[in-house]
Amino acid sequence: MLHDKIKDLVNGVPEYTELRAQVNTNYGISIVSGNLVGNSRATSSGVSARVYKNGVYGFSSMGDDSEESAKNVLRAAKENALFLDGKVKKGKPGLYESPIADFTERHDFIDVPQKTILDYARETDDYIQNKYPDLASRSVMIRCDSIERLLHVSTGSFAHTISPRACLYVSMTAEATDGTNVELFDVMECGRGYFTELFHDPSELYEKIDTLHEKLMAKRDGVFSEAGVCDCIIDSSIAGMIAHEAVGHTVEADLVMAGSVAASRLGQQVASDKITIIDFAHTAFGKPVPLPVYVDDEGTPCEDAVLIENGILTGYMNNKESAVHFGMKPCGNARAYEFSDEPLIRMRNTAILPGKDKLEDMIASIDNGYYLTRTQNGQADTTGEFMFGITMGYEIKNGKLGRAIRDTTISGVAFEMLKTVDMLSDEISWASSGYCGKKQPMPVSDGGPAVKCKINIGGR
Amino acid sequence: MELAELKEIAAYTLSCLKKYGADDAQCKVRFSDVDEINVDAGEFSLMRSTFDSSVTMKVIKDSKKGVIAINKTDKESIDAAAKECVANAEVSAVDDCLSIAEKEENEDFSYGVAESDRDKFFEKIREYMVDLKNDYPKVFVEQLIANYSEATSVFANTNGVEFSYRTAYYSMGSMYSAHDGDKTTSFNSTGIDFTDLDKKILDMGTQRMMYELCEKELDAVPFEGKFTGTAVFAPSCLGDVIATAIDNFTGDEAIIDSTSPWRHSLGQKVASDALTVSLIPIDDRVIGGERYTAEGYKTKNCDIIKNGVLENFTLSEYAAKKSGEKRCSTLSGCMEVKAGDTPYADLLKKIDKGILVCRMSGGSPASNGDFSAVAKNSFLIENGKITKPISETMISGNLAEMLQNITDISRETAEDGSCVLPWVAFNGVTVSGK
Repeated sequence: MLHDKIKDLVNGVPEYTELRAQVNTNYGISIVSGNLVGNSRATSSGVSARVYKNGVYGFSSMGDDSEESAKNVLRAAKENALFLDGKVKKGKPGLYESPIADFTERHDFIDVPQKTILDYARETDDYIQNKYPDLASRSVMIRCDSIERLLHVSTGSFAHTISPRACLYVSMTAEATDGTNVELFDVMECGRGYFTELFHDPSELYEKIDTLHEKLMAKRDGVFSEAGVCDCIIDSSIAGMIAHEAVGHTVEADLVMAGSVAASRLGQQVASDKITIIDFAHTAFGKPVPLPVYVDDEGTPCEDAVLIENGILTGYMNNKESAVHFGMKPCGNARAYEFSDEPLIRMRNTAILPGKDKLEDMIASIDNGYYLTRTQNGQADTTGEFMFGITMGYEIKNGKLGRAIRDTTISGVAFEMLKTVDMLSDEISWASSGYCGKKQPMPVSDGGPAVKCKINIGGR
Repeated sequence: MELAELKEIAAYTLSCLKKYGADDAQCKVRFSDVDEINVDAGEFSLMRSTFDSSVTMKVIKDSKKGVIAINKTDKESIDAAAKECVANAEVSAVDDCLSIAEKEENEDFSYGVAESDRDKFFEKIREYMVDLKNDYPKVFVEQLIANYSEATSVFANTNGVEFSYRTAYYSMGSMYSAHDGDKTTSFNSTGIDFTDLDKKILDMGTQRMMYELCEKELDAVPFEGKFTGTAVFAPSCLGDVIATAIDNFTGDEAIIDSTSPWRHSLGQKVASDALTVSLIPIDDRVIGGERYTAEGYKTKNCDIIKNGVLENFTLSEYAAKKSGEKRCSTLSGCMEVKAGDTPYADLLKKIDKGILVCRMSGGSPASNGDFSAVAKNSFLIENGKITKPISETMISGNLAEMLQNITDISRETAEDGSCVLPWVAFNGVTVSGK
């Protein structure tokens, strides 16, 4: 990493300037049906600079960590800003003046040997193979990523942060009696930290693996859902994804400016008054969130962004530029993935807040519907229209859980679906294994309680 | 950086890998300069220039594999990475199917423009924005990313393989929606790769048709009911549908695992006679494409399905050895679906009840091809005509069955610099709404 001396390159420059040095590391292991198909390590590091000028930015990056490169990217970023300003002459005002950050995160880099990760994956795979030899296929995947960055902003903000994450996923496929293959995938463990801080002995995962297999067997004998709008309970992983995909993106200020459905709804009731959605920065309910962010890549100290409060759309997620446009305060949502990426408005840890209901009471309240517990993918539109693939769920008949269901989809319009919510469970759980995609990838987490609502479910 | 320097770096990388004990080794060294112009919410917002390098190395030692990627090209960094790469191989698993490419005639390839004209490029993008505003006033560009990318790569291995490829061309991708008062459409996207800065960018590919449809989508209403009928996939989403099916049924994992319904269908009919799908990275209609594969073989175009018959799996060399099948001569994403004989207008006329799908929002299909997705930017077809735009519409079916139920392929094709695709009508697709 570049040393603090690069601070002198930024301090006092007349144009608003960010200078960032960053290292990204990614380790991956992938074992498919016993074959080691992925065994890789990748590191990228370098410096980048971004300069603001009258409503436009210039940006430049180089994959080299030297002070000379820092000077070069500063020069090139300034030239780019001048080039674009000279062409378009937007004449816009300066950026929002955030409080000055001075933050150093204490988390030493741990260079985990590949053998340690590989042995863990092998032992996990051996367990699955030995215990469940009749599976049509199986896979064990480990992904570890780490982002260390050093940020200096011309306003005086400084941050040195390090964000490691390690995740292990298992997928199983079984042949059903009708000859089709039925699959189920789940995250066995994922969280903030280096691999050896989170994973100690594969036996700690055996119970979760057994549960996954049990669910797969239920799904193998499962039925297809009946298409149509019905009462459903969506579990926390799906609720979190709706908070992120179907609501969160529509209230990112850049997408609001681009015409998202939230553009005309500020201050309006967009959900049941039971619904509150917050993009948490680093702490929630007195505990660190799964992927805490303390200072963003514009040097803004991070705070929670309240998006929906008691059903009312209360705010957007901003960067320094959009904050001026909307007259709002930026809460530290400007994030960049690699050294060569410019900061974009991104979510951090987005969640629906829990309610007061018990899950068993929620199930008991439904005569004919579904309890949907697992999604593997989801997409949403800037109109709030969403679609998620459901990979695990159960019928609810007369207030009781019934048969498992095969893969299906749910769809709807977020601000309409959220108005149908009438019960929320009293527990929140988080998912932190994913990346959000928006020009650049970004590690994010989302969470929520179990949510009872009306939703459109697909069928055969 | 000069080509000779890249070759020196590649040679040095291989020497380090051998020094640390590799039996076989390969590397790819790449340098790229990119100039990027961004438009956000209809306004120019960012000028970005990046200078990137990478060295990716793979070793096989005692039939075990290690892979490392770094973005440094100095000797010290390469030496350290090579040492780590071999160490990773040593702790890996024995697999007799690992290999590196065999020696062919080495070759240096080049494609594209000699150098960028930054001013002219910017003015072409400005012209594009003005043209768009004048011709499609209700269309709003949510984000546009235009770039000039110049990249040179060298692939080398210890069997003596050495290929290089320099590419330099322009690209433009736009994400957009239409707005009129309170009415707004779903977003959609379009993109094009090109080398000619004299043509109007808006006239390239099928962009005009896409923007015209986008304005019509403002009157979209939620679809009600359910029917099974014909789905016409526009080129803007046909590529994804076909690529997904090809990967699902002929890709590495599906064949190694034997989860593909086509596992034993080579040489057999898997689709309607009208369907021919080819990978065409070397083609006058493709910008850039591919000249050597990721494994270090000289690229050749490849038919995957020809007149409905499965000609090839899309297998890497590793998967080919693992499954006892043949390696595919390219795994490039540049694809052609061969045009049919029916004019697009006539293709629509034959449909009593169906849907024109311009974008699909959905996840991966099941291994047997079952899928469901939301049909975005889509229109109802009734009695041979496009009657109205629809929203909140789900389509479902089975990809393998769909390929066997092709009723028509248009004579017209869309070219975006990467793929050549017609409009294809599939029967037996279930369309459902609220």
